[in-house]
Amino acid sequence: MRLHLLIRSAALLVIAAAPLALRAQFQDPTPEELKMTSDPKAPGAPAVYLYREEITEGANGLSTIYARIKVLTEKGKELASVEVPFLRGAAKVEKVEGRTIRPDGTIVPLNVKPEELVVAKGKHFQVDSIAFTLPDVEVGSILEYRLHIRFKDEAPLPSWELQTSYFIHKEHFFFDSGQMMSAAIGGIAAVTTPSDSPVKMQYKKSQSTVDLADVPQAPDEDWMPPTNTIRWRVEFFYTHADSIDHYWKRELNEWIYGLKDFIEPTGAIKKAAASLVSPDDTDEQKARKLYAAVMKLDNTDFSREKSEAERKKDKLKEILGADDVWKNQAGNGNQLALLYVALARAAGLKSWPMWIANRDREIFNSAYLSTSQLDDSLAIVSLGGKEIFLDPGQKDCPFGLLEWTHSLAGGIRDSATGPRIGQSPAMTYKQNAANYIAGLTVDADGNMQGSARVLLNGSDALHWRQQALENDVEEVKKQFIEDLEGDLPEGVTATFDHFVGLDDYESNLMAIVNLSGSIGTPTGKRMILPGLFFETRAKHPFVAQDKRTTPIDVHFPRLESDDVVYHLPPGYTVESAPHTADVTWPGSALLRINSAAKEDQLEVGRTFARNFTLLGPQDYSNLHDFYLKLAAADQQQIVLSRAAPPKGN
Amino acid sequence: MKSAFCLRMHLVSVLSAALLAGAAVPAHAGLFGKDSPVPQWGLDAAKTPTPANIGDASAVILFDEYVEAIDGQGRAVEREREAIRILKPQARHEFCAVSYDVDEKINYFREWTLAADGKTFQAKDTDFVDVGAGEEDAVRDIPILLQTEKTRIVRPPAEDVGATILCESEELMAPWKREKVWNIQEGRFVYEALEIDLPPGSQFAESWHRYQPVKPVEDAPNHWRWEIKDMPRLDLRDVKASPAWDALAARMSVRWGDLAADGRDNQWRALGEWIEQLETNRPSPSPEISAKAQELTAGSSDFFAKLTAITAYIQKNIRYFVIERGIGGYQAHFASDIYRNRYGDCKDKTTLLISMLQAVGIRAHYLQVDSDRGVVDPDSPSLYSDHMITAIEIPSGFKDPRLQAVVTAKDGMRYLIFDPTDERTPVGNLPSYLQGGYGLLATGPSSQVIELPVLDPSANGSERSGKFTLAADGTLSGSVDTLNFGPQGAELRQFLKFTDEKERREYWESMVARDLPGVVLDSFQFVEPDSLAKPLEFHFKVTAHQYAHMAGPLLLVRPRVLGSAARYFDDKPRKVPFDLEATGRWHNSFDIALPTGYVVDETPDPVDLDMDFASYHASVTAKDNVLHYERTYTVRQVELPADRAADFRKFESTILSDEKGTAVLRKQ
Repeated sequence: MRLHLLIRSAALLVIAAAPLALRAQFQDPTPEELKMTSDPKAPGAPAVYLYREEITEGANGLSTIYARIKVLTEKGKELASVEVPFLRGAAKVEKVEGRTIRPDGTIVPLNVKPEELVVAKGKHFQVDSIAFTLPDVEVGSILEYRLHIRFKDEAPLPSWELQTSYFIHKEHFFFDSGQMMSAAIGGIAAVTTPSDSPVKMQYKKSQSTVDLADVPQAPDEDWMPPTNTIRWRVEFFYTHADSIDHYWKRELNEWIYGLKDFIEPTGAIKKAAASLVSPDDTDEQKARKLYAAVMKLDNTDFSREKSEAERKKDKLKEILGADDVWKNQAGNGNQLALLYVALARAAGLKSWPMWIANRDREIFNSAYLSTSQLDDSLAIVSLGGKEIFLDPGQKDCPFGLLEWTHSLAGGIRDSATGPRIGQSPAMTYKQNAANYIAGLTVDADGNMQGSARVLLNGSDALHWRQQALENDVEEVKKQFIEDLEGDLPEGVTATFDHFVGLDDYESNLMAIVNLSGSIGTPTGKRMILPGLFFETRAKHPFVAQDKRTTPIDVHFPRLESDDVVYHLPPGYTVESAPHTADVTWPGSALLRINSAAKEDQLEVGRTFARNFTLLGPQDYSNLHDFYLKLAAADQQQIVLSRAAPPKGN
Repeated sequence: MKSAFCLRMHLVSVLSAALLAGAAVPAHAGLFGKDSPVPQWGLDAAKTPTPANIGDASAVILFDEYVEAIDGQGRAVEREREAIRILKPQARHEFCAVSYDVDEKINYFREWTLAADGKTFQAKDTDFVDVGAGEEDAVRDIPILLQTEKTRIVRPPAEDVGATILCESEELMAPWKREKVWNIQEGRFVYEALEIDLPPGSQFAESWHRYQPVKPVEDAPNHWRWEIKDMPRLDLRDVKASPAWDALAARMSVRWGDLAADGRDNQWRALGEWIEQLETNRPSPSPEISAKAQELTAGSSDFFAKLTAITAYIQKNIRYFVIERGIGGYQAHFASDIYRNRYGDCKDKTTLLISMLQAVGIRAHYLQVDSDRGVVDPDSPSLYSDHMITAIEIPSGFKDPRLQAVVTAKDGMRYLIFDPTDERTPVGNLPSYLQGGYGLLATGPSSQVIELPVLDPSANGSERSGKFTLAADGTLSGSVDTLNFGPQGAELRQFLKFTDEKERREYWESMVARDLPGVVLDSFQFVEPDSLAKPLEFHFKVTAHQYAHMAGPLLLVRPRVLGSAARYFDDKPRKVPFDLEATGRWHNSFDIALPTGYVVDETPDPVDLDMDFASYHASVTAKDNVLHYERTYTVRQVELPADRAADFRKFESTILSDEKGTAVLRKQ
């Protein structure tokens, strides 16, 4: 990651000149380009960008986009359709030029007026898009188009996505911020991500340029972390600071100052806290009681935020501070998290707010000097000298657990020593456990009747509890069964019986499920049963792919344990049970399988623990190897032998 | 898999759905959101008690009334009043919406909420938003860019469980619309009504789909009203192998002006004439089209050769792309424009095909169909459908076994049915999703509804053979060769068209991994995927570690290495037919060379099941240390009635049992 300040002061801004940018012109194709049927630099690619350009003249309020594309396969034709959204009123697409160059070199100009379509329109805004498709496109065509976007005032700061789903031979990105009035009070800076990208920005006064050649297709793999850590990108932003430390020092102070009125315990908050805790309570008891009280409030992220008219009619106060949240007995997730901090402080606890970038959207980047990357608020409380991160804004999240997008999440926080950049802790596998316990009675035809108890805590339990906040319980049951049936053996039907603990977020959640169907395959002398009942159709990741280029994000660590008792049909004995397995990837994962046969039953146990959240591509080989063993072990079968019929007299 | 299809050409009215919930952001309704008292109709509707038999419905529609006021020119103003009670938390995202296009206008749109606690609210300007059709269609993953239709959505205030939402809107409909389709099963209705107010002397025609016709009451001169009470919701969520929702849901169509006629056949005729009139001159060949058609067919000796040359050209060269502005939802562009730009939607592709065929002396016609079988109902004349294909006149006496998708109309004329939007099904064959459905053949005065053919199983399917070697550690490795015929080959070709090498590998690996967990796709190759005249060849090599499982001295191996034909089945009472998707014949033949030192101890029993709608034959044999699995699966019908549920279960459970069958190898 590199941070560059383009303009350090208003004085510099005035000095910076804005020469007219040079823009790419439509080019005659070379014979090589016309003949090209594939690209050795992008084997199998459906299309490649021969050239891609984006030029933004900030002060002039003009942005031009240019592309020159070679279509190599049928799929590549999709690049002939272009749609560019813009904010109506703030910008308009002034001019669109386009043409298709056939493989024989003849040119078909875009002669249909691009259509301006409404994307979304409200009272205070209208987002339109300009859309067109180039004519007469065939495999081998070269597509060329240019759009001129005119902004009413200055152009907004650009955000350059330097990688696309297609290989790019050359690209040129240019931004001239010269004399932008919007930068008068501070400056404009840029950050390139990810930190190991080869993107090198060239600077000349107020001008920033990126020229790249042979840009690979943007990676797209399963279980990737957010793309801001993967795709090459340049983000421009306004800043008042001339260094990262300077920026965050000032921003942190402003953040805390802005929150002061919200979280500073008022008389009402002190009164509320006093009514919730007892002076004899330990700090942890206080912390838990206050947490429980906040959890009881209406979390409008999970119910519904009231409209202005409703608030007026219900005489609800506009929320300006924690006491308003308490008075309304309602707030959104962020407001409730801050209320918790206020209540904790009022109860004499050391507590601080934290503002994080949600890990499913973005990984916090301190070199990107913008709080726009931050999403949700957490509360931190110190208990016995140890900091506990809490998630009061997540309805039904147990004390001490973080909703997964809030774990391992970077952001800014307050602390005993003042505000600073920080990160929330990772979860452990023990915090996210799923235990499947089943008893199955199999008859001589291979049919089965049984029931299962599914015991969940942590993230899995939170998921279903939050589903129950937004749906009635019958709907949640249906969703649970749909989720479960995907892993059960084919021919098995699950019907939901009941939940235990759905309303008690501090307890384990238990789902009772009835099972029936055909699981045994009789042969002449034997019957074959699935060895790991709950894993028969489990779709293990990281098995098919033997190489990996991007990091892996499995969201959270997890512990799974299965305990299945098969009651055997009369006259059958266990000939072979799943092998004992003990596969360990030290420190990261383990799998244990064991089985024990008694006279008329077989018990099969399985434990799988995944003790990681994020891995680098260098870890993939070990990960792949472990999951291969896991997938193979989960496919084991049980062989039952039919006893010979008793001899007659 | 359907390839590409046109926008549903339904006359969109007010809907209540959660589809666009995520798109609703604060916005405005302009003058539509002015404060006004709760209307009496709404107060009356809100008094309706929630019925006891609501099933799984999360909301109940207490009252829903459309009034279509038709003026002397046939133009309608549609008013809808709707009262919805929220019963469950998941219904809090319900909203009212009105769709409109460039030639339509929303006169007003208001919403009131009667909250559970008795308070009343009215939606403000900021509770309304307009969303472009592109946003809606993005949800459906259809490659549409240029569509001018928009939807105005209101996000009701105080939308909590127990609240009653009241919506009223009035819209000036497009001047060319002459039909109102009344979807009467979109929710759990307590009461719903449709009124049509016609100018003196005007006629109307009505038709009903999957509902016993209701007699209208003439409230005033030429003002008719239909009422329905206690309509259950059609919920297919837990119904496997079901026909499409639209095919099963009850609806009514009422038509006026030129579309009103007496009797079923006359009504279809009127609709066909309307289509033909709408497309008048659209297919007229330009000199460039004529020249291209002549060039393509130069040297073609007969009807089929000419036909193939032109259909293949359109399939290969005309890119699928939708441009719809107002009536463009029904009316094609001119053939000359389509030819020049080389893109278009289903109507456009049909138009260009008719044009090019006309240039070489072959007559062809518009055939309006739906991409879901059963939506077009021969007993319910309507324009309700979403796709346009082509009916090509076959010269008298011409016969060719390659012409499989042939229909004989009432007048004895034979037509070849062809879908030019499906870029990969060769002329003569027909995509499976169209087979067994109905379509409106637009041939002027002889316009009629026709049944699309169900092709013989030999027209679709695959031949798959595999040769594998099993190692003593359970590793299976080998090669698989497949020939894919008809629509099955077309679907594969379509997949190849829209994917790159990486996506194909990932897709096939995940497909094969369903049967072979941990599989590595060593190589794969498609042979001449663009050659529509030949079956699509697909060859691949795999290695699957621990495919066979050690069990003491035994080694357990599943002879059915790859591919599954089994469908999900359950024991629930069945009320709707089973959609069998496609006729076809699928044949598998696998040889597994066994590891040295092992002999076959047991093999699964052979299966021979022959029913009228399908058959399944499978066997496992062992010879010379090779385990041989052979099966043939044939489907002869595309749909099975609900009362055949026992047969369906028997058939599918037999397949499932065979597919799970395990051979037991014993160490010598």
